[in-house]
Amino acid sequence: MGNKQTIFTDEQLDAYQDCTFFTRKEILRLHGRYHELAPHLVPMDYTEEPDVKLPLALIVNMPELKENPFRNRIVESFSEDGLGNLSFNDFVDMFSVLSEMAPRELKAIYAFKIYDFNVDNYICKEDLEKTLNKLTREELTAEEVNLVCEKSIEEADLDGDNKLSFADFENMIARAPDFLSTFHIRI
Amino acid sequence: MDFRGSYAEGSAAGDYGYQGAPESLRLRQRLSAVPDQSSPQFNWNPDHTSENEEGSSDRQNLKELPLPMELKKAIRQVQQMKVPVVSGWQSWRRSKSKTLKRFREEAGGILAYVALWRRNLQKIGGHFGGGVQSYFLFLRFLVVLNFFSFLLIASFVLVPSIIFHSRSSGNNSNINISAGQEVCTYYEPNPQGLVDFYTYFIDLLTGTGFMEYSYLFYGYYNNTEGITNDFSYNIPLAYLLTAAFYSIFCLICIVIRMGSVIRVTVKTGGRTVGGYSMLVFTGWDYGLQGDRATKLKQNNIRYKLQVDLEEERIKLKAASLTLGQTVGLYSLRAFLNLIVLGLIIGAFICIFLATQFSQTNRETDFLSLVVQYLPSIVITLANFVVPFLCDQIALLEKHAPSTTIILALLRAVFLRLASLGVLLITLWSQITCSTEDGGTCLPCGYNHTLYQCWETRVGQEMYKLAMFDFLTVIAVMILVEFPRRMVVDSCSWKLVKFVGRQEFVVPQNVLGLVYGQTVVWIGALFCPLLPVINTVKFIIIFYCKKMTLFYNCQPANRTFRSTSSNFFFLLVLLFGWILAAFTLIYSVAAIHPSMSCGPFRSLTMMWSVVPNSFHSLSSSTQDFLHYIGSQAFSIPLFVLSCVVLSYMAALASVYGQSVSLLKAQLKLEGRDKQFLVKQIEELSLASRKRQDC
Repeated sequence: MGNKQTIFTDEQLDAYQDCTFFTRKEILRLHGRYHELAPHLVPMDYTEEPDVKLPLALIVNMPELKENPFRNRIVESFSEDGLGNLSFNDFVDMFSVLSEMAPRELKAIYAFKIYDFNVDNYICKEDLEKTLNKLTREELTAEEVNLVCEKSIEEADLDGDNKLSFADFENMIARAPDFLSTFHIRI
Repeated sequence: MDFRGSYAEGSAAGDYGYQGAPESLRLRQRLSAVPDQSSPQFNWNPDHTSENEEGSSDRQNLKELPLPMELKKAIRQVQQMKVPVVSGWQSWRRSKSKTLKRFREEAGGILAYVALWRRNLQKIGGHFGGGVQSYFLFLRFLVVLNFFSFLLIASFVLVPSIIFHSRSSGNNSNINISAGQEVCTYYEPNPQGLVDFYTYFIDLLTGTGFMEYSYLFYGYYNNTEGITNDFSYNIPLAYLLTAAFYSIFCLICIVIRMGSVIRVTVKTGGRTVGGYSMLVFTGWDYGLQGDRATKLKQNNIRYKLQVDLEEERIKLKAASLTLGQTVGLYSLRAFLNLIVLGLIIGAFICIFLATQFSQTNRETDFLSLVVQYLPSIVITLANFVVPFLCDQIALLEKHAPSTTIILALLRAVFLRLASLGVLLITLWSQITCSTEDGGTCLPCGYNHTLYQCWETRVGQEMYKLAMFDFLTVIAVMILVEFPRRMVVDSCSWKLVKFVGRQEFVVPQNVLGLVYGQTVVWIGALFCPLLPVINTVKFIIIFYCKKMTLFYNCQPANRTFRSTSSNFFFLLVLLFGWILAAFTLIYSVAAIHPSMSCGPFRSLTMMWSVVPNSFHSLSSSTQDFLHYIGSQAFSIPLFVLSCVVLSYMAALASVYGQSVSLLKAQLKLEGRDKQFLVKQIEELSLASRKRQDC
């Protein structure tokens, strides 16, 4: 099945298969999805490794991401420039980490980046407030938001600096049995 | 600063699982003076860990690196260029493992494609979340279990019976009847004379008439020992052993599935401490699609947070009660529990009376359909009314919301399984004449006036229970859920909008499934085709529930967490299995089989077919089995399992202790770090001042 396609060379497909959790078929399907986001921008022939990046606005229109409250942060976390412009490599990377075979540690790293809104490598109270507002569509009262943020930091912060470092976050994720199944997008 | 590039920075005290020193690869960034302790570090030189390992671990490490794709490809190229000097044997092994890995990936892809209802489950999970999806996963597990059980029964009991019936080459061994026992061998299942045509319809629903003397029920099977030239097949033995293996097979499936679920819980420490942070960071289901599902999930999370805050408030209030108020509250709860117990016992008495009445009145006109179904009707009504009343009572008990949910569920489970138990006890007491003075049981050992073939009657009861359960599900869907949704959508009264659409409450639906499966397990000995009937029934229920889910329901606001609930469902299923196992053991070992029908008609006890055929085995097998059953084998086995068990328990406690030790250590190190950072700042401040002076 893979012998007749001309989108990637066999060597490229091998590389993708080794670097992500996808099979050859799935990578070709992903290329199809990437292509249909912007058919005039994305070439069908990737054997020469063209340097094509799709902007954030196009990526977040995918049905898998359209209603996700964190869609902007997800795409920004996987882009190289931090502004949400994804090349095909970044695109595949994103869905590989969000697939069901990615291990917990890898997902925790990227989840931390998604929830870190001001990109300072700590989840501080403002980041938590923004996360909470996105989660509840801003329907909690200010006092409730404040209470929940304080309690969350109190529960997860181990080194006592009133913000969550990656170690605190990973420690808390390790105790959450649901994490692997909820941090998962099927494509 | 490119935050991806922060990965490239090594730090002297990189102590979060990975170490870093990015010498050999490109993309180094200049960073701020203070090394960034909080960014994740990783091992840039994977060949440290994989020097002596297979190439597959290299590939695994590569997939798990949190780097952009270009970097991963670069690392891969570097790895491939380092061709290790290996012998021919090792290189052959490596290439074989590579092909094996590719093959496994392809096989996994095909299996996932073939898996039953994969697309449907994906769609359900996407729109309604993990909790509702777990119900359908549980249903799929039961369908597969029932189907494989049917294959087991068909291949060992059904097919040989069909062959021997058609060839009639078996010897129907005559039973030895003593003087007063001729009346026991009378069995006439087919109706005499002309029958009205509607009796066929009634027979279909109750398993009597033309359906009674068929492969469906126990009574049709003969105690033939089919003997051809060099092959003999003992049907009674096959029947009994198949039933035993079927039970054990189901038990093993349940335990294996429980094991995989519990492994996740144990790995994560089990406790649900840290509710708020976990809810905020892991509460969102990234797989949800669609505007409606997203809004519902957001409402759900908001509801959960509000409930958690409410629980805190209640706990604070409860802790601040005076002694008098506490005593009053507990005595109120004890009183309410007594009322609940009284309700449950009342339900049991109703079931007992209904079963007695239904068993002693058997005509064949239309009203008798209601009489025949009376136990099923009473059980279903009881399981609807009593939990509803208990819910109202629970409002007075003033527990925290999570406790209320768990209590309601426990009560519902107890009611379901115990009502089945009461039905069975009633049946058994009638069969063995323990409600009368035993006069009718003397000639045959069982109540032959009421039951010419008691096993078939028990099978028919189970068949009726299963049918009624199925009819109830369909009827509720058609008569309650569809109209409710039509009324809610078209009517704009405030009251109607308040009541709203039907909620898909997962635990109650799962209890229904467990009830149905328990009925099948109990009835499988007496009605061998019941597993296949159940397979078809569950498949139809899957599609019906899916349809009602998408058209009529909204997800419940009060949801269970899907992992803990999976374990709970399997635990309840296990209780059902235990009930069925008790029933089977009692029927096989304690009651006299019918003399007029079935494969065990010549024996005083069903189990005795096993010792009887024991002697036909070869002497070495007999000696081996004797040895396994003797004390010389079982006592050392018991001692060994005790040792293994205590080892596992000790291991588990050691893990728990090391987890808490490590947590304490983390806290201490954090504080040390802060102290050192403060010291560094003070020192640098002091040295800067000295420089200025």
